Amino acid sequence: MSGPSGETVFAVEGVRFAYPGQPPCLDGVSFEVRGGERLALVGANGSGKSTLLHLLDGLYFPGEGRVAYLGRPLTEDALEETPFGPRFRQEVGFLFQSSDAQLFCPMVEDELAFGPLQMGWTQDEVLRRIEDTLALLEISRLRGRSPAGLSAGEKKRVALASLLVLSPSVLLLDEPTAGLDPRSQSLLLEILEALHARGLTLVTATHDLTLLPHLADRVIVLSEEHRLVADGAPERVLADTDLLLAVNLIHAHSHRHGRLVHSHPHQHVVAHEHVHDHGHTHED
Amino acid sequence: MTALPEWLRPGARPSGGVSPRPAAHRLLRRTLGAMGRSLALLVREDDGPNAGALRAADPRAKLLAAVGLIVVATFLRGMLPLAVCLGLTLALSVAARVPGRRLLPVLIAVPLASAALMLPATLNVVSGGSPLLVLWRTAGGALGPWRLPEIVAITGDGLLVAGRMVLRTTACAALALLLAATTRPQQLLGGLRSLGVPQAFVMVLAMAERYLAVLLRSAQELHLARLARSVAAIGVRREEAWAAAGVGAVFRRTRALADEVTLAMVSRGFTGEVRLLRPARWQRKDWLLMAVAAAVGAALLILDRRLA
Amino acid sequence: MHIPDGYLGPQTYLPAWAVMAPLWSWASARLKRTLSVRRLPMMALAAAFAFVVMMFNVPLPGGTSGHAVGSVLVAVLLGPWAAVVAVSLALAVQALLFGDGGITALAANCFTMAVVMPFAGWWTYRLLAGASSAASRRRYAAAAAGGYVGVNVAALATGALLGIQPLIARDPSGRPLYCPFGLSVAVPAMAVSHLLVVGFVEAAVTALALAYLTRTEPGLTLAAAAQEPTSRALKRFALAVAVLALLSPLGLVLAARFGGGTAWGEWSADRLSKLVGYLPSGFQRLSSLWRAPLPGYGPLAAQGASTTVQAVWYAISAVVGVGAVAAVVLVLRRLFTRRERDDRAA
Repeated sequence: MSGPSGETVFAVEGVRFAYPGQPPCLDGVSFEVRGGERLALVGANGSGKSTLLHLLDGLYFPGEGRVAYLGRPLTEDALEETPFGPRFRQEVGFLFQSSDAQLFCPMVEDELAFGPLQMGWTQDEVLRRIEDTLALLEISRLRGRSPAGLSAGEKKRVALASLLVLSPSVLLLDEPTAGLDPRSQSLLLEILEALHARGLTLVTATHDLTLLPHLADRVIVLSEEHRLVADGAPERVLADTDLLLAVNLIHAHSHRHGRLVHSHPHQHVVAHEHVHDHGHTHED
Repeated sequence: MTALPEWLRPGARPSGGVSPRPAAHRLLRRTLGAMGRSLALLVREDDGPNAGALRAADPRAKLLAAVGLIVVATFLRGMLPLAVCLGLTLALSVAARVPGRRLLPVLIAVPLASAALMLPATLNVVSGGSPLLVLWRTAGGALGPWRLPEIVAITGDGLLVAGRMVLRTTACAALALLLAATTRPQQLLGGLRSLGVPQAFVMVLAMAERYLAVLLRSAQELHLARLARSVAAIGVRREEAWAAAGVGAVFRRTRALADEVTLAMVSRGFTGEVRLLRPARWQRKDWLLMAVAAAVGAALLILDRRLA
Repeated sequence: MHIPDGYLGPQTYLPAWAVMAPLWSWASARLKRTLSVRRLPMMALAAAFAFVVMMFNVPLPGGTSGHAVGSVLVAVLLGPWAAVVAVSLALAVQALLFGDGGITALAANCFTMAVVMPFAGWWTYRLLAGASSAASRRRYAAAAAGGYVGVNVAALATGALLGIQPLIARDPSGRPLYCPFGLSVAVPAMAVSHLLVVGFVEAAVTALALAYLTRTEPGLTLAAAAQEPTSRALKRFALAVAVLALLSPLGLVLAARFGGGTAWGEWSADRLSKLVGYLPSGFQRLSSLWRAPLPGYGPLAAQGASTTVQAVWYAISAVVGVGAVAAVVLVLRRLFTRRERDDRAA
């Protein structure tokens, strides 16, 4: 575990990042993540929140500025060092948006075994952990199944199990509820709630504002110019309609009340009977 | 929202148009069918409590036994040993409750295709031997570099050669099918692990199997979308261009997935060295299976040499 | 082009495994150098891609349709060594997990479709594409030619593997034990269908998919090795042709002419020895090293011709055939180069 809660887990300082041959998708972003915190990164598609998660997980490295984990800068060299590299990989879990990319083993059991075996744990220890983790997430019956045959909700839970089996202290979650049906979604939220109660630090990237009250104690907003524009409690951020309009997280919305057509800023904080096509694809 | 254009309103009809031509969809449907069957095999789950005993056997033992017997079959020369081999395999398939629809191709399509291919081999011009049934008498002579035979006839040697081929290919196919039908791909991959196959190779084969399902689904979606939108036949050139675009789209997904999977692996501590779960220990019934397979193989070979 | 189990005797499929084992490990070592951590997922995904490509039905004029093998496309996109691994894995998945395609014949199938085909196709593509830009017509045409040549050379190699069966494996009474059709039947049968039909499917898929990807994916980088200078590619091509000459007797179709007067499928023994009489004796001594591995299967013993005769015969015809193919490729290259110059001049 990464020390007492309240300690700075991640320190992001003046980070600028661009994919080769493209304009920057993060531009001078700075913030800190504290132990035991539930932080949400919100922003429109392409605002760079998913990229930011990749930087926090030491998968991409910033062009300018730095990202530090427990005071130690995350660089390619640092991650190749033992014990820092393996310890970081064990302590920080990343739930990818695409479960298909995350579940690359032929069977659920192999999937859970992958991380622990990379850590060099003994076979017996690995098997014991697999059993416990599957039981914890109530997916023991999936142990011998192939990920290809699972439903979206089951895949998400297996992906989460493949991280939890390493007993991480930080979870980075990229659009965890995207594509899940309401039941799987609330089940996942329950699990995350329980994990938080056990002291895990959760960093979630999402553009689904309905989730914020369930997922976060603190919200960071990224603008479409790839800058950090707000940092605060969910209620405060959700109340700031001008800000949300400016970053394209909500939109002016017109609809009919009887014969009257009117227009008002609209946000999907509660279930809404209108159907909107948000184009749930991710370019970032 | 801006107003809907006229043609998007309910009840709008396009001016002119084409009538549907179902025949144009045949090819699409055939491809979709093949993809669906492959997918079904990949994601098939456990076969329930009344599945045959062979399913419960260790995949390694099954793999070794099946491959061993296939190798034995390629050494057999006599019709009788080959027929015994095929008969045993089919009996075992029935006992193992291999579903009929999977067994059917081996029982019908493979021998028929093989027989059709071997038809010329029954003739004296291919296999030699003394004629049993003369089909055609020619004047002889020469055609370019080739001397034409004076008679074309079915010969005893020819029948033996062709029969041997049909029996052997069918027996091999039946054995391969028995293995594939009683062992889920995931278990088979687990089985490879402990047979001295390098772990990196097993890992790649397993990942190939895993992502085959994902890519097949994308390809299937492409075809379904095409089927849903296509009304009439388009020209062969455009069909080709469409297929190539489909292949291109699948390739894009391939590359994106490869990148993402790499990150997912690195994120869980992968540094390039493959470590896999140790497979379960061999049990007595697995040794028994191997012993039976070895005994059958040896018996077949001895029978074959005795008859020769 | 898949050879099922039972068509090849152990004398053929066992050496095929012996040839493929070092090729696989070499290919995988090369990829390890260029891809490092990305190697495993890239190979796995490429294998799945190769498998899916084989499932696409491509319509042909006249109402028929065909499947592409896709090896040349994979070679053009990811490099020939990646194609060796990817296509081999795809074939392994097919044989082992789906139970179709030969298991004993797997190495032989990998040799034709995962080694001969991608390399023949890729070298042709490299040679014809030269230094043309990524989106040029010449490059697409080169990809089409690569697909066509690749699949045809592979078909010839398959025909040769099948065709040597009656020469090297017969039962004591002289009847063929495995594929009963000799070279003069198996090779033309494979060649004709591929020259006339399958080659065009492969050409279309290779070129059109490359064109589609070049158009829609501006950042697409083709196989890194595609940047190497043409003269080196030419040398490698020559080397490969020499190797192919020994491995797959391309020219057996033409060579049937030498055996004029023989019946279909069988060459008369004295005719052959007469021909062999013209060869330098050193060459004969060399080829006498090449004997059928299982003495019980005495090749052609029943007919009186020795393995030496067959081996020499095999080499002559291969050289003739390779010469013919090389000539065609060089003429094509000339034509393409001229067209490129015309394009630039215009």
